[in-house]
Amino acid sequence: MHIPDAFIPIGQSVIYWIIALAFIILSLRWARKSMGEERVPLVAVLAAGVFAIQAMNVPIPWGTSGHMVGAALAAIVLGSPYAGVFVLTLVLLVQGVVFGDGGITTMGANIVNMGVVGGFVGYYGYAALQGIVRSPYAAAFAAGWASLFVSAILCAGELAVAGTFPLGFGLVSMGLYHAVIGVIEGGITAVALYLISSARPDILEHPQVVSG
Amino acid sequence: MDRRAFIIAGIAAALVIAVAAPFLASGNPDGLESAFFGIYGAKTLTGDELDEDAAALAEEQVVEKTGNAFAYESPMPDYTLGDLGKPGEVAAVVLGTLVMFGLVYGVARIAARPGN
Repeated sequence: MHIPDAFIPIGQSVIYWIIALAFIILSLRWARKSMGEERVPLVAVLAAGVFAIQAMNVPIPWGTSGHMVGAALAAIVLGSPYAGVFVLTLVLLVQGVVFGDGGITTMGANIVNMGVVGGFVGYYGYAALQGIVRSPYAAAFAAGWASLFVSAILCAGELAVAGTFPLGFGLVSMGLYHAVIGVIEGGITAVALYLISSARPDILEHPQVVSG
Repeated sequence: MDRRAFIIAGIAAALVIAVAAPFLASGNPDGLESAFFGIYGAKTLTGDELDEDAAALAEEQVVEKTGNAFAYESPMPDYTLGDLGKPGEVAAVVLGTLVMFGLVYGVARIAARPGN
């Protein structure tokens, strides 16, 4: 879902960059307040894993493929939607600058779609569903799926505003493909959450921050 | 599992995925590209076939439409390393995974709440 440069006029790209920067600042404030130093290696491992798994495009029907984004997983494991913003911003930066995956002018839009929407829908979806389905893994699957699907719908909307996609067919095709790719997102989110919580149950407890 | 072992296992898992990805990854267009090619007549919504000529034309059309002709030459475009083929792709993704770990470790170290 990495939008290349040509897909959005520069003037609109600047607006997405401004929105992205606002959330990046908020994510840095979250880190200063709530991300303890002992979590630094975990955040780095999550980012490395998210980067690697994003290189693994899984074939889906209709001559198409898709891969996990990973913002929902980062947000759920680290206990904040801003963790998704933090990790995805750095992943998208390396992908765009080093590998030409996703544009430079459109990086702000990609951070908004995948980092911000992925992180917020993933985190709050997980929190809301956990009370209903009682299984953290089922909740993680559904939240992962929804995070990807909502990102894709917003992306289709942005490209309609850009004049690149017609709204109707853009929504239908982005929605169709990403409804399937969302199963990959949800599945890996649930499995990774299971593996992490089996190895280190303490990571997911999220104790309250004690000041001083 | 202790903290150190958990981090090492995590890095090992990321590197296994990084090495396997170039061999297992599908070369089909991703969801966004596929939607784009469908809209610009290079494939159909549910079809498997991609018309390469129409796809190339679509990429020119979209630049005309948005006026965003910004071009950037990345050092390892599309996760490739020069003309090295598969070994180059493996090296690119492994390198990217290690760079990712190092960069995020550094930024998170600076950004994190200081220890008591």
